[in-house]
Amino acid sequence: MEINFTLNQKPVSVDAPTDITLLALLRDHFKLTGTKEACEVGECGSCSVLLNGELVNSCLIAAPSVMGCEVTTIEGIHDEDGGPNDLQRNFISKGAVQCGFCIPGMVIAGEALLAIKSDPTRLEIREGLAGNLCRCTGYMQIVDAIETTANERAEKRNQEKREN
Amino acid sequence: MAKFDYVIAETIDDAVRLLNKPGIRSIPLAGGTDIYVAIRVNQPWFDRLVDIRRIPELTQITMEGDQIKLGAAVTFSHAIKSPLLQKAAPFLVEACKTIGGPAVRNCGTFGGNVSNAAACADTLPSLVCLEALANLRSPKGERQVKVEELITGPHETKIDKGELLTHFTFKAPPQHARSCFIKIGRRKAQSISRLSIAVIGTLDQYGKVETIHVCPGAAIATPIRFPSVEATLLGEKPGKEIIESAADQLVAEMIKSTGRRWSTEYKEIALKAIAERSLTKIFLEDGSSWK
Repeated sequence: MEINFTLNQKPVSVDAPTDITLLALLRDHFKLTGTKEACEVGECGSCSVLLNGELVNSCLIAAPSVMGCEVTTIEGIHDEDGGPNDLQRNFISKGAVQCGFCIPGMVIAGEALLAIKSDPTRLEIREGLAGNLCRCTGYMQIVDAIETTANERAEKRNQEKREN
Repeated sequence: MAKFDYVIAETIDDAVRLLNKPGIRSIPLAGGTDIYVAIRVNQPWFDRLVDIRRIPELTQITMEGDQIKLGAAVTFSHAIKSPLLQKAAPFLVEACKTIGGPAVRNCGTFGGNVSNAAACADTLPSLVCLEALANLRSPKGERQVKVEELITGPHETKIDKGELLTHFTFKAPPQHARSCFIKIGRRKAQSISRLSIAVIGTLDQYGKVETIHVCPGAAIATPIRFPSVEATLLGEKPGKEIIESAADQLVAEMIKSTGRRWSTEYKEIALKAIAERSLTKIFLEDGSSWK
């Protein structure tokens, strides 16, 4: 079945079987292996992507159902120069990354949260990450990275306001 | 070759036609959060998924007169954000908040939760307390079945093959109704209910129980109300003793229904506690707002 959708802001078209998940479509057909495959039952969040801007588990999404939709994977999250964006840099500087397997999902969940809540409390950050499991860091550094990013982005917005 | 086919339904009529096409076993797909988990362990029991999420009527929450209409493909995230539901049925919104994590709530739907009919389904106790009707559509026409009667056992419903669950309807509870949903899970998020309870009630002008609906979740095979427990409270001025005796009675009814099992030792204590807590919350703690 031919599936047309927008992937990381580029229109794409792919011929794929009807019975595969969005996760398989991304990894096997587009070779975008930043989206991780782990539990495959919607428990761990390592396959998190944004579907029309909303956080979803790509392992539970029918591949053909993204027809006409916008999908953003971790490969679509970066600075203008292609390097890590502010959230990703904060993951590094706060020591939020150890083995790294959960991190693409964590970054996606972080961006999904910051898109709907620009000034989240630590509890709200934890709730935003409730569907993403990390077995290395103990979460604190990940929460720190998202909190710091929220503060920095707020400061940047204020500065822009002052300049205008 | 693909194990199953996929098709998008544009309208309700379209979906019903696709679901009833002879020679191909079709089932509706909404959020997919149960179907895609199920086909990880079982062979698909269908030949085609009919995606119903793009049918506008199925994704809306509306109010007509005093009737609230909740589309079968409304997601839990949508419900949590709905001012209409927050006001009319806060305990249903609370139940939605306890489901999975944000990603699952962005996909999972009411229609899926009810038609999957797990004993632990989190929206069921509140829907049963609201006396919600499930609206079903088939080539034969429309019919309505009470959610309480729709569920006949764990993962078993009266929804016929080829029948589409389109929406739920329920009467908006009166302004002075108070409701509560409590869930016990193994952790705060991403957890399956071990036990839950939904209660909604009103007091009359003399401060006596005018209406009360009580429905536990994951306690027995299907989510049902317990009229005998409700009768204990009706007409009484709520207090610690009467609430405790209603909770005891609920536990006795659960054991009558399930028999004593390995989990009963835990459930009898836990169910009593959440029954007391929820009834205390609506009749005593939220009581200051009663007028």
